[in-house]
Amino acid sequence: MSSDPHSHGHGHSHYHDAHEAIVSDDAPGYYEIMETAVRELLIAKGLITANDIRHQIEVLDSRTPALGAAVVARAWTDPAFKGRLLENGRAGCEEMGISFYDDTQLIVLENTESVHNLIVCTLCSCYPRPVLGLPPDWYKLKPYRARAVIEPRKVLAEFGTIIPDDVEVRVSDSTAVIRYLVLPRRPAGTEGCTEEQLAALVTRDAMIGVIPVTLNDGAAQ
Amino acid sequence: MSVEDFVSRLPNDIGGAAAGPVDRVEHELEPWEKRCHALADVLDFRKLINTEEKRKGVEALGESLIGKLPYYERWIVAFANIGFTKGFFTPTELAEKMAEVEARTADHPKPL
Repeated sequence: MSSDPHSHGHGHSHYHDAHEAIVSDDAPGYYEIMETAVRELLIAKGLITANDIRHQIEVLDSRTPALGAAVVARAWTDPAFKGRLLENGRAGCEEMGISFYDDTQLIVLENTESVHNLIVCTLCSCYPRPVLGLPPDWYKLKPYRARAVIEPRKVLAEFGTIIPDDVEVRVSDSTAVIRYLVLPRRPAGTEGCTEEQLAALVTRDAMIGVIPVTLNDGAAQ
Repeated sequence: MSVEDFVSRLPNDIGGAAAGPVDRVEHELEPWEKRCHALADVLDFRKLINTEEKRKGVEALGESLIGKLPYYERWIVAFANIGFTKGFFTPTELAEKMAEVEARTADHPKPL
């Protein structure tokens, strides 16, 4: 398993070149050529269409953590909705107009005074993509995947999150068909906030479970 | 790792393994990486290659290749191999198509 996302080994600009312009005069690399070739062969054989790919890129672009944040804010302000969401996460999201473009079920895990939830995919990178978009690289790399299930408190501490000893930490390991979303605790001092203001406080990492939702994080956004 | 560890755990099965600190890296997908992701989703909903088959296809690359290839590079190589075994295309067809794509794009800077 690579712990080095930088070793692409071919010639175009990479994300770690933070000070370089995002342009490339290089010819496409070997794997990019392979992607184009596989896609064009599948289209030529009538197995997929070019429109399938275009449409799915639009779907991917439309999925961001703002969707999950809206779900969380609704759950904080509407107890009946929260009940339905915890009963069936997918149906709860669909009720808010968030479609599931894949064959996955969603289980929403509620953080409470006594339980803190964390999600991981030890085998690869399964993630609640319909409501959060694509996962960050660290979620897909070995240290998080390997350690979240065996020493979650230490992993959380690396994110600056200290969970008191009397709070249970539950780690849920995603699969190809079952995905998880953490419903974070609503921060104190937000009693007067609107649903929209609450949603602005909720971050992607809070819905993965590596950090809490705080008023300060929201102000910094 | 002992030989028995390799027998009992496939390369993707790293839950509980020792590893270093979490480095909070992330990046915007390059256009071809996003196309590769879209391709994976399309292969799934067209019932051609599902998520589990994709994961097994990556696993079948073996530990040393998995260790050398970044994320979407692993996916596209796995899709090529699964495409051969499912008869979507032959290795020769893919080699010829890759040569054609390479020739077509060599002289044209790609927009990012």
